[in-house]
Amino acid sequence: MLLTTSVGSLPKPDYLTQARSQTRRGEMDPSRLRQLEQRATGEWIKAQEELGIDILVDGEQYRGDMVAYFAEHLGGFKQSGLVRSYGNRYYRKPILAGKITRPKPVTVDWWRFAQKQTRKPVKGMLTGPYTIMDWSFNEHFPSRRAASLAIARVIHEEAKDLERAGAQYIQIDEPAISTRPEEMDLAIEALGLVTRGLRAHTITHICYGDFKTIGPKLRRLPVDQIDLEFANRGFELLAFFKGKRFPKAIGLGVVDVHNHRVESTKEVVANLKKALKVFKPDQIYVDPDCGLKTRTPEEAKEKLRVVVEAAQAVRQELMN
Amino acid sequence: MITTTVGNFPKVAEDAYTTKVIGAISRWQRKELTDSELERVFQEVTKAVIQEQETAGLDLLTDGQVRWEDLLNPIARKLEGFEINGLSRWFDNNIYYRRPILHKAPRWTGPILVRDYQFAAQCTSRPLKAILPGPYTFAKMSEDRYYKSEQKFTRAMAEILHQEAKALEHAGAPFIQFDEPALGFAKPNMALAVEAIGIVTQGLKAKTALYTYFGALNGNLGSLMRAKVDVIGLDLVSSPKTIMNLKHVPIKKTLALGCLDGRNTKLESVTELHALFNVIRKILPLEQIYVNPNTGLEFLPHEQALQKIQRLQEAVVSYGER
Repeated sequence: MLLTTSVGSLPKPDYLTQARSQTRRGEMDPSRLRQLEQRATGEWIKAQEELGIDILVDGEQYRGDMVAYFAEHLGGFKQSGLVRSYGNRYYRKPILAGKITRPKPVTVDWWRFAQKQTRKPVKGMLTGPYTIMDWSFNEHFPSRRAASLAIARVIHEEAKDLERAGAQYIQIDEPAISTRPEEMDLAIEALGLVTRGLRAHTITHICYGDFKTIGPKLRRLPVDQIDLEFANRGFELLAFFKGKRFPKAIGLGVVDVHNHRVESTKEVVANLKKALKVFKPDQIYVDPDCGLKTRTPEEAKEKLRVVVEAAQAVRQELMN
Repeated sequence: MITTTVGNFPKVAEDAYTTKVIGAISRWQRKELTDSELERVFQEVTKAVIQEQETAGLDLLTDGQVRWEDLLNPIARKLEGFEINGLSRWFDNNIYYRRPILHKAPRWTGPILVRDYQFAAQCTSRPLKAILPGPYTFAKMSEDRYYKSEQKFTRAMAEILHQEAKALEHAGAPFIQFDEPALGFAKPNMALAVEAIGIVTQGLKAKTALYTYFGALNGNLGSLMRAKVDVIGLDLVSSPKTIMNLKHVPIKKTLALGCLDGRNTKLESVTELHALFNVIRKILPLEQIYVNPNTGLEFLPHEQALQKIQRLQEAVVSYGER
């Protein structure tokens, strides 16, 4: 009960950030970059083990953007010219330009690499079809639904391969769901194609959004666990679940990833106890609100340390 | 039909003018570039963006909002009473804006956009419109720690935007547009939005427009017709129902219709656009409308943004020649 984990991304060490821009400028060989990505992945696996986390992630040291990474490795996508995302930040947004194919597995080698270094389970980490569709331009498919379902079919293949390789937990992130609650049914349909027939414990992470609209449909998401941000809105989401007997496991985000301040173990313990009035202990997985990639490596470790300490303290109390 | 755009245009063009804005802004942030050096880069890009609209043949131009990070920031940071907070999502886009926080009574201390407007206007002999956020969207997308009242905040913003609009009119702007994307989301307070825009446009002699985009107006089209503006901008792409709803609403304003998707790279064909004009023609005389992409074009890479305005012009010209 109260198993600890993280949502996916972990910060890249400085040497890797530098190596990535050197590679982009053609000043570093991609094979050298890959070595550094492996080094950073190994360091994060070790760090998570030392912190005492129960379900590990590979930290996505080799990914830039969660959608672009899949677009680069799947067939049917083109890359666009520069588009501004905010302030002075630009990125290349994927374009759905043809039939979506998966020439070879995208994440399985990295998952194997990470799992080899630990006895604890490492999660398979995928981006969901609805989010890949919503965060891409579409020049090929007649509708958003057609695009989502076509992407879902290849993400399903990827999930099957992760499962075959031995992944016990597979997370399929759908942060875009919260932006267009009116399309929740489409997201559910597409995610259903991904998780169909999987035996692994499946999870989806969705961001905070219009809970009045999407809240009632959460139970229909075809996964075993739903991971949500609780900390950054002061745990007000708990009120939504109160008295509802939520039928799935819940990933409980207990530290805010957008804030430099590291929460105290005491406050996280208090919030976990509040959550235990709403959910059963074995229903709860404890983690940060979202991926930690925007924090410094030190901040990320401190935040994860608090997650683990708080979960352990509450477990102790429950067992006594 | 009068061709125009909703406002913004890509600030960088790998395939055409330049990408130097990116480097210039980061050097300016590191204080390696002075304000006037940065301004020269903005002016160069503004000129290029205006030139592209002219060459494409558009009738009513904009400065491309090259200096704008988002719809609220350029105004909020020049007013008293605001601080700029962290990033929030811009409506239903995977794009972010910095959320202004109001912590004391907001105050306009002098013209904000006049100098930029004057520079842009002298780059072309065609009419160039000025663009401002609408008061309702401004209040809705900011955090109100002072009034703690949507009504009071919206009305205060309306007074401020009125002063800025007066200044722009005085600087020669023949057409002033107010963007109200917030009207397409949740359940907007239409009465308040309409009242506020009335405060903004009171006594203005320039032509005024209220533009909506993203989202869906659904049943609010009728109340929008009561807004005290000359032109109402409607997004026909994001919510295809809008055009059907138009059939059931008495149209009391000139309409500006968003006919091409400013958020997707797929280029509409001339045939598709002609089919849409045919539908529109059954609802109102085409002579009385503006046509434009449904949203600003900065959601697109430059190549596709340019193609959109070229295609718009091509479709309008060939429609007239049928």
